[in-house]
Amino acid sequence: MSDRTLTLQVNGRPYTLEVPSGQTLLETLRESLELVGVRDSCGIGMCGTCTVLVDGRAISSCLTLTAQVENKHITTIEGLSQDGQLHPVQQAYIDHGAFQCAYCTPGFILSTVALLGENANPDDAAIREYLAGNLCRCGSYVNILNAVRACRTIDD
Amino acid sequence: MAVGKSVPMLDSVARVTGTVPYPSNLKLPDMLVGKIFRSRVPHAHVMKLDVSAAERLPGVVAIVTAADFAGDDKPNLHFGSPIQDQPIVAGDRIRYIGEPLALIAAESAAVADQAMDLIELEYEELSAVFDAEQAMLPGAPILHEASPDNIVRHSKLRRGDIDAGFAAADEIVEEVFSSPMAQQASLETHVATARWKEGKLTVWTGSQSPYTVRRVLGAIFDLDLENVRVIVPPLGGGFGGKGNVRIQPMAAALAWKVGNRPVKLMMTRAEEFVTVTKHAAKIMIKSGVKFDGTFTAREVSIYWNGGAYASSSAHLVPAGMLRAIGPYRIPAVHVDSYGIYTNLPIAAAYRGAMSSQGVFAHESHMDTIAHLLGIDPLELRTKNLLRTDDLFATGERLHDIHFVECLEAAAYGLGWHEPLQSDNGTIKKRGRGLAVMMKNTIANSYSECRIELDAEGRVTLFVSTVEMGQGGHTALAQIAAEALGVPIEVLAVTGPDTAETPPDAQTASSRSTHMMGNAVLDGAASLRQQLAEAAAPILEWSPDDLSVADGYVFVTTQPQARIPYTEVLGRNNIDALTATGKYSTNEGKLDPDTGQGISTPDWHQGAGACEVEVDTQTGKVTVLRYHSASFAGRVVNPTLAGLQNDGNVIFGMGASLLEEVAIDGGQITNPNLSDYMLPSFLDTPVELKNVSLEEEGSSFQGIGEMTLPPVAPAIANAIYDAVGARIRDLPLTAEKVLRGIQGRTDHER
Amino acid sequence: MSFELLQPDSLPGALKALAQHGDEAKVLAGGTAIVLMLQQKLIAPTVLVSVGRIPDLAYIRSEPDGIHVGPLTTLRDMERSLVIQTHFPLLAQASGEVGNIRVRNQATLGGNLAEADYASDPPTALLALGTQVTATSLRGERTIPLEDFLIGFYTTDLEPDELITDVFIPASAPGSRTTYLKYRSRSSEDRPCACVAAIAAFEAETCTDLRVAVGAASEVPQRLPAVENLARGQALTDELIGEIAAGYADNIDTLEDIRGSAWYRTQMIRIHVVRALEELRNGRR
Repeated sequence: MSDRTLTLQVNGRPYTLEVPSGQTLLETLRESLELVGVRDSCGIGMCGTCTVLVDGRAISSCLTLTAQVENKHITTIEGLSQDGQLHPVQQAYIDHGAFQCAYCTPGFILSTVALLGENANPDDAAIREYLAGNLCRCGSYVNILNAVRACRTIDD
Repeated sequence: MAVGKSVPMLDSVARVTGTVPYPSNLKLPDMLVGKIFRSRVPHAHVMKLDVSAAERLPGVVAIVTAADFAGDDKPNLHFGSPIQDQPIVAGDRIRYIGEPLALIAAESAAVADQAMDLIELEYEELSAVFDAEQAMLPGAPILHEASPDNIVRHSKLRRGDIDAGFAAADEIVEEVFSSPMAQQASLETHVATARWKEGKLTVWTGSQSPYTVRRVLGAIFDLDLENVRVIVPPLGGGFGGKGNVRIQPMAAALAWKVGNRPVKLMMTRAEEFVTVTKHAAKIMIKSGVKFDGTFTAREVSIYWNGGAYASSSAHLVPAGMLRAIGPYRIPAVHVDSYGIYTNLPIAAAYRGAMSSQGVFAHESHMDTIAHLLGIDPLELRTKNLLRTDDLFATGERLHDIHFVECLEAAAYGLGWHEPLQSDNGTIKKRGRGLAVMMKNTIANSYSECRIELDAEGRVTLFVSTVEMGQGGHTALAQIAAEALGVPIEVLAVTGPDTAETPPDAQTASSRSTHMMGNAVLDGAASLRQQLAEAAAPILEWSPDDLSVADGYVFVTTQPQARIPYTEVLGRNNIDALTATGKYSTNEGKLDPDTGQGISTPDWHQGAGACEVEVDTQTGKVTVLRYHSASFAGRVVNPTLAGLQNDGNVIFGMGASLLEEVAIDGGQITNPNLSDYMLPSFLDTPVELKNVSLEEEGSSFQGIGEMTLPPVAPAIANAIYDAVGARIRDLPLTAEKVLRGIQGRTDHER
Repeated sequence: MSFELLQPDSLPGALKALAQHGDEAKVLAGGTAIVLMLQQKLIAPTVLVSVGRIPDLAYIRSEPDGIHVGPLTTLRDMERSLVIQTHFPLLAQASGEVGNIRVRNQATLGGNLAEADYASDPPTALLALGTQVTATSLRGERTIPLEDFLIGFYTTDLEPDELITDVFIPASAPGSRTTYLKYRSRSSEDRPCACVAAIAAFEAETCTDLRVAVGAASEVPQRLPAVENLARGQALTDELIGEIAAGYADNIDTLEDIRGSAWYRTQMIRIHVVRALEELRNGRR
C-alpha cells in the first residue's frame, strides 16, 4: 500500500495530505477534507451526486483517483458561495424550489455552473441534455429546468 | 396566512450549500466501520461458519454471528414488525442470496474487506423457489416451517353474490397482469450508526419509522424503551424503502458486541438491492359487465412476492387487496390477496405502495373493457366511478370523494377530446391514455407533536415526522404558523429524536400532512388557550373573552386591547409555553373472512392522462405530455405539492418503462444504476403538468403518492391507443411493445 | 485497492514502466473505466501507470490526408472540436453520445479504445472511418487498423508493454455523407442496445463507397465489407438498403441482455442500418 503526499487546490485553498494510491477524489474530499456536499451514491459515475469541478469542468469524483488531480483546481459546492453570499445558481435553485431531498442538489448546481460557463444562454434542450447525467430520484426536473432558465443571461 | 404559500423549504440554504446533516455524514469519535458478510446461495443449511481467522486480523474489533445470540441472557436473534421471523444474521439457515451471515466492525473499510475473505462458510444447498405462485404449489421448498404453504398472509374480501353477478353479465373479461421486483433507489443508501453507553442504545439512522425502530430494538435487546434512542436526521430519499426496520438491528448488534465504540453501517449501492425491494406481483382480474358499461361483478387474485421474510408484507398484503379493486361501482366483488415467501430479498413499500401493481391491472383492464364495448375510456370510468355516499367493496360509506374531478382535470388538461396531432408519418404513432387510483391510508394511526413558544416569540415544533425531501417539516411549520398567527420565520422544526420528539406512527403512506398536520392544529389550539389564560390577568378579562391571533392576545370585543405573545410570557416570567397536540384515527377493522368494515379514515385519490409516441419499428415509447391530478383537500404549499405530483409521475415513469430488478437463480444481476435505470431529465415529458384539487372547508390530505400509480396504466393505455398492442407486463419495454405490435399486424387499425 | 501508482512524466518513462511491470500493470488515463473496475474489484493490478503527466499526448491535428488525435484527448474535446465537427461530424456525434458530460470530460480516446467496450460509441464510429491505431513500446512502434485492434469482448491486440500513442483517422472522400445512430432501448442515460455508423460517397445518385459499422449488438463492433460492397456502383434504392440491412442483421451474432434479446437486437440492427442508409441517401452530411 503506497501512500503519497500531495497537494490539492480545493475551493481556492491548498491542502497537503497523505493519500493512499487507490483513494478516490470522492473519498479524499468527504473523509479527509470533510466536504460532505460531495456525495457517494452509485459509485459508477451514473448519478452525479459526487460531481465536482476540476479546472471548471464537471467530473465524477468517484471515478477519479485523487492523485490524478494533484495541483488542479477543484471546486465543490462548499466553494461556490462567497462571503456568505449564495452563488446566483444556488439562489435560483431556492427561488424555483428545484430540490426535494437535495442529496443530488450540489451535483446539479455544479453541473449548472459548468454548463453556464460553456454556454451562457442554453436553450431548454441544451439544459436537459447537459443535466441528463445528474439523477434526481425525487423527480424535481421541471423546477430545476426553471431554475437554470432563470440563470441565463437572456432570460425568457 | 402561512398556509397556501410557496415558502421555500425551511433549510433551503443548507440544501443548496451541501450542508444538510444527512445520516450518511455522521462521524462520531472512535467510530468503527461496519461491513456485512453475505450469503451467495439462495437456500441452504449452514453447516459451519468460522470467523476466528477474521477476528484475529489486526484492525478487526468485533464480528457478530448468530452464535452471539445463543443463550437466555443474550439479545433476540429474530425481529420483525409485526411477525418476528427475520434473523439479524442468518443462523442455521440461509434464505436468500445476500442474506447477512456475519457482521464485522473494523477500524477501516479496507480491513473489514480483508476480514471478509477470512471467513469460512460451509453449507448444504437446498432447493429454492423464486416465483410466488410456484412457492404456493404442493411440494415447493418451504422457507419457514411455521408456514408450510409459504403464505405470509392471505387477505380476503367477499361482497355480494359473485356468481349471480357474472351470470348477469353480457361480457366477462379476464386478464392477467404482472409487475416485476423493483428497487426504491434512494440516492442516499440505507445507513445506521449505533452506540451503546451505560446500557443505553442510541441509533442515528435514515429511517421513515423511528418509533418502530425503537420498539423493535427494545424487543431485540430487552430494553425499556426509554433506554433506546432513535435519531433521524433529514434523509436523502425514502420512497417507502426506509420504512419499518431494515439495517438498524445489525448496526445495534455490532455496537453491542463492540461495547464502547460506535459503529456505522452504510449500504453500498449493490447491497441496497438486497436490503429491500418492491413486491413483484401477479394479478388476475376478471369483470362482468353489461353492454351499457355497467359492472355486475369483479374477481381479483393477487400474488405478492414477499421475499424470504414477512417484514412489511404482513400489513401490506391487506392494503394491497383494497388497492387492486378500483374506484368503481361494482355490486359483487371477491378478492384474494396472498403474500408469499420466496428465496429472494424482502419486499416492502415502494412509493405508491401496493397500489401501483393493482392500479396497473385494474386501469389497463378498464380500457380493455372500454374498447370491447366501444365506449370512450373516460366515459366508461366517469359512468362507474364512486361518488360521495356510495358504498365501497368493503361496505363502507365514502366521504369526500373526488375521483371524477381528478380524472377529468387530468383528461381535460391533456385535451382528451381534441384531435391527436399526428406526425403524418407511418413509423411513429401517437396515442392517449388515462387512469385513476384510490388508496386507503394507514388506519388506527396516531400522531403527536409538541409546540413550544419562548419568551422571544420563537416557536419550535417537535415532531417525529421524518424530513425526506417531501418538505414535511416545512408544511407542518406553515400549518403551525397559521394556527398560531405568527410569521413562518419564527418557526423551527426539530426531530425525529425519540428522546425529544413525541410518538408518531411513521412517515409513510402520505399520512404526515394530514395526521401530523391535525396534531399540530390541536397543539396550536392548546397553546392559544394557554396564551389566553396567561394574558387574562394582564388584560383583566376572562380567558373566554379573549382571542389569540396574529401574534397578539386581544379582547374579542375590543381588538385594540391587546398584548403581544412575547409580553404575555415576559410579564408572567414564563420562559416558554409548551403544548402537546394529538391526532388519531380508529378506523381500520375489517372482518378477516369478508373484508367488510371501515378500512381507512380517508381515501387517497389521483389520476393521470398522457400522450405518447410509439416508434412502430423499435417499439420505443416516448411520453410527450403528461397531466396529473390529485385531491389535496387544502394545499399547504403549492410548490411542494407540485413537486410531489410531478415527482410521482417521474418516479412512476421509471417503474412503467425502465425499472426491473433482473434475477437469475435468485441472484440479482443488475444491482447498479447503469443496468437498473432511473428516469433522467431527458426521460421526463417535455410537457409535464399537475394540479392539486382543493375543496372549500376541506382539511389537508396526503398527496405523496396519488399521481404515481396511474402512470403505468395511463402509458399502457396510450400505447394501446397508438398501436393496438396491449402490454400486461411491466415494465413497458420497447421489445415488449414491438412484439405486441408484430403479434397483431393482422388486425392493425 | 492496493497497488503502486506510477506517474511518469515522459513517454519513455511510461514505456519503461510498462516494459518492467508487464502483465501486472494497468494504464490509467482518464480513469472512468479503470477506477470503476478497481472499485468493483474487477481488476487487481499491482502497478497502475498513470499517463496523465506525459506531455503532448492530447491533440487534434489536421493534416491533408486525415487527422491525428492524441490518445489523451478527452471525448468532450473531440465532441467540441471544430476540426472534428467539420470534417468528421460522425465522430463528433459519437464522442458526444458517450455516457454523460462528466464521463466525456474525463474519458480519453486512448482509454476508450484500449477498454474495447463493445457498447461504447467511438469505436463503432472510428471503425467506419477506417481508423489506424499506433501502439508504441520499448520494442518499437506499430500501426494497427482498428478492425485488427479490436479483437474481442473487452479485448484488444495491444501487448501489455504497449501504449496507444496516436490515432489516425483518414480523410473521407470529398462529398462523403456520414451519420451515427445510437439506439437506446431504455433511459436516455442507457448504454446503446445497438448503434450504427455509416459513411457513403456518391457520384450523382450512385454510391461509390459505403462503410457501415454496427456496435453494441455483439461482442465487437463489426463491419461487413462483403455487404458494404453491394452498394458500390449502385443507387441506394429502398430495395438495396433493405438488402444491406438484412445482410448486417443476418450476419451479426447478437448478444442478449437487459437492453434487448438477441432477436430484438437483430431487428434493431436491421431497422437502424435502414435508417442510417436512408439518411445518407437523402443527403445528410
